[in-house]
Amino acid sequence: MEKYITFAIKYGFLIVMAGSFLGFGLLEPSFWSWTNMFSILLGVTIVGILALGVTFTLIVDGFDLSIGATAAICVMISSYVMVVLDLNYIYAILISILLGITIGLINGLLIVKAKIPDLLATLGMMFLIQGLQLIPSAGMSIGTGMILPDGTEAEGEFAKEFLFLGQGRLFNMIPIPVIVFALLAIITYFVLQYTKWGRILYAIGGNKKAVKLAGVNVERYKIAAYVISGTISSIAGILLAAIIGRGDVTSGGGLLLDAVAAALIGYAVLGVKKPNALGSVVGVIFIGMLLNGLTMLSLPYYTQDFIKGLVLVCALIFTFGLSKSEI
Amino acid sequence: MKSSKPIIEAKNISKTFGATKALSKVSFDFYRGEIFSIVGANGAGKSTFIKIICGYYADYEGEIYIDGQLVRFESPRDAYEAGIQVVHQNIEQGIVQNMSVAENLALEMIVSPEAKCIYDKKSILKRAEEIAKKMNLEHLDMEQNIQDIPQSQKQMIIIARALATKPKLLILDEPTSSISDREASILFERLYRLRDEGVSILFVSHYLSEVKKISNRVGVIRDGKFGGILHQPLEVKEIVRAMVGDIGSEVRRSIKDENEKSLLLELKNLTVEGSNHPINIKIYSGEIVGLLGLIGAGKTELAETLFGIRKPTGGEIAIKGTSVTFENISQAIRYGIHMVPENRTVNAIIPEESIKNNITLPFLNFFSKLGVLSKKNEIKAAKRMIDSMGIKCEGYSAYIESLSGGNQQKVIVARWLLMKHNIIILDEPFQGVDIKSRRDISIYLQENTKNSAVLMISSDIDELLDVTDRILIMNKGRILGEEKTSQVDRDKLLALITQE
Repeated sequence: MEKYITFAIKYGFLIVMAGSFLGFGLLEPSFWSWTNMFSILLGVTIVGILALGVTFTLIVDGFDLSIGATAAICVMISSYVMVVLDLNYIYAILISILLGITIGLINGLLIVKAKIPDLLATLGMMFLIQGLQLIPSAGMSIGTGMILPDGTEAEGEFAKEFLFLGQGRLFNMIPIPVIVFALLAIITYFVLQYTKWGRILYAIGGNKKAVKLAGVNVERYKIAAYVISGTISSIAGILLAAIIGRGDVTSGGGLLLDAVAAALIGYAVLGVKKPNALGSVVGVIFIGMLLNGLTMLSLPYYTQDFIKGLVLVCALIFTFGLSKSEI
Repeated sequence: MKSSKPIIEAKNISKTFGATKALSKVSFDFYRGEIFSIVGANGAGKSTFIKIICGYYADYEGEIYIDGQLVRFESPRDAYEAGIQVVHQNIEQGIVQNMSVAENLALEMIVSPEAKCIYDKKSILKRAEEIAKKMNLEHLDMEQNIQDIPQSQKQMIIIARALATKPKLLILDEPTSSISDREASILFERLYRLRDEGVSILFVSHYLSEVKKISNRVGVIRDGKFGGILHQPLEVKEIVRAMVGDIGSEVRRSIKDENEKSLLLELKNLTVEGSNHPINIKIYSGEIVGLLGLIGAGKTELAETLFGIRKPTGGEIAIKGTSVTFENISQAIRYGIHMVPENRTVNAIIPEESIKNNITLPFLNFFSKLGVLSKKNEIKAAKRMIDSMGIKCEGYSAYIESLSGGNQQKVIVARWLLMKHNIIILDEPFQGVDIKSRRDISIYLQENTKNSAVLMISSDIDELLDVTDRILIMNKGRILGEEKTSQVDRDKLLALITQE
């Protein structure tokens, strides 16, 4: 019995995933087409990148609630830079990333120096950023040819190169955002698994005090985790702006919860019970695949959130419920 | 006072975890009105046995009888209702944070299913005072938040609460590990009274002198098997022999000639936070020096100053003749000062990590190039420490929680012995560590301290006598004296550390 449970905890999630992959394809052969595979991947890219970011803060026993808002403000700011300020797209990218780093740094300082609990500090930042993103464009979405508050027409436009980041494809097949996602995932996985930084981040999540007494500057690592989270979120924002091609004020909705759900589902992958890069990626792809498959089988769109919630609860049971915790 | 029929009998208790047999047919019985101690080396199966009696494991083999009736505990609640009360080693498990002292004492009144719906502060306070009085705790401020009182008083509160329920069997797991001698003697007085009132007490402690002092009988568990029962008159040596077998003659180091010794660490008029007394200490290479003092003598403050956690308020620290200052721990480590902090669970262990990762933690720079870890070198280093310190484990990748307490401590000590150092400070290294592991650690230190030195901090004279070459006595922030271990006068040491 114990053996089966151990096996279930370790491989259960992957088996369910493989099973649904087979099932959907058998019921609906077009599910297995390359076009559909990449459409699934493209669909989860933004959430997936954010899930990688939140993984870093979860590892140090923290939490970053501002990731979705950070991505959204970067959608707005990169649009603003190109459309309203009429600057080169390179500036749009640089300013967005700089903004992401700044937000992460502020989060880190609020948590480490001002000693505000993670959830509260980043919740505050989330509200602040959500409000801030509306101010430059006076609450309106930003698009090419929009009418500015002074009555004139905006002169700038979305650069082709910028749009290529979101809408282009490599070999006419692989979407560029998916490539960025894959690269970020590989880097994250490598850093967390094979470098001393990853080792120390995990150790801080395990016992902060012990790591401090081992001579590590724990505060700096914690701040770094939030800076990484902010930076990764800004990359997600840039890609999102490039995918939709306008500065949509509503683009950030739902990103946070989906990303957190994916990272939490990731705890169940291979039974590691810890936040991890592979798990977050698998988690987000699993949800994307499930929703894609079910939609093909004409599942109504309004059941999607229910399905996500169901998957999350089941994954959490896998992770925490099945393993007997000792008192 | 011993009645003829046992009140609780545990017969042929066995328990396996996966492939390992933790307990194999262990039988003990407990009589009304006696103090029964269980002793055993670490990993012998003591805690497993206790957990079974307390209902933590439902899937054991064997039988438990209470008053002749066969019972089977499915949960800790079952055991509790059968009159078995436990005071666990871990204090934080026994108290409710955010509650006052009174609420913690009268917890049963608040949480029991029969508790009144309306919070009645007056009667809770009254009940709490009754409970406190029995343990001579009247001096406590009942309104105070429990987080603000010292560990030792928390411990006394937990014990007082357990006693208040008039249990049939009271289990005390390492109850004295974080309380002072004076508090311990109050506790023992209370235990004697309870024993005379007919309560059966099961006592578990690593302090064999305590076991010898208070027990009527001593049960031994050895490698998961019944190791015999010792009756009075008890002798510590006999208890040790029953626990670990013959341990051979003691290792005694030949101390180097005075002339050969080179000065490693010198404190010149060093003052630490919260004390104005200048401290002067010289430690030479190859030495194991003890620092003896009661809780609150200022030992930990001194250690933390040496390790860069606190800044000295005056004076000088010199290493090999050169005066040094450090701003933080990592600089102290760079000067070759390593420290094993007290209380490994809180200050040292990284849970859910492997033994290897726990050992190499402070020295990841050494094991990485451009940030990328060389697992091969790490594994080699971890294996070397596991072998040389005799850490009992399934391998370097086993989780640290899978080890017994004594072996966990070995891992933490190994962490700081891994790399070359000038001086290693061990703060209460043997707290909650069984005798076998103590010996392993002691022997390792004695054999391997050559060009470095050890400063071992403890409030237990016997621990220091076993290992050290000389002992410094600290009292209220002052170094009162120094004794060579080979010609030590125990009574003089005791007088010095307790001197007002």
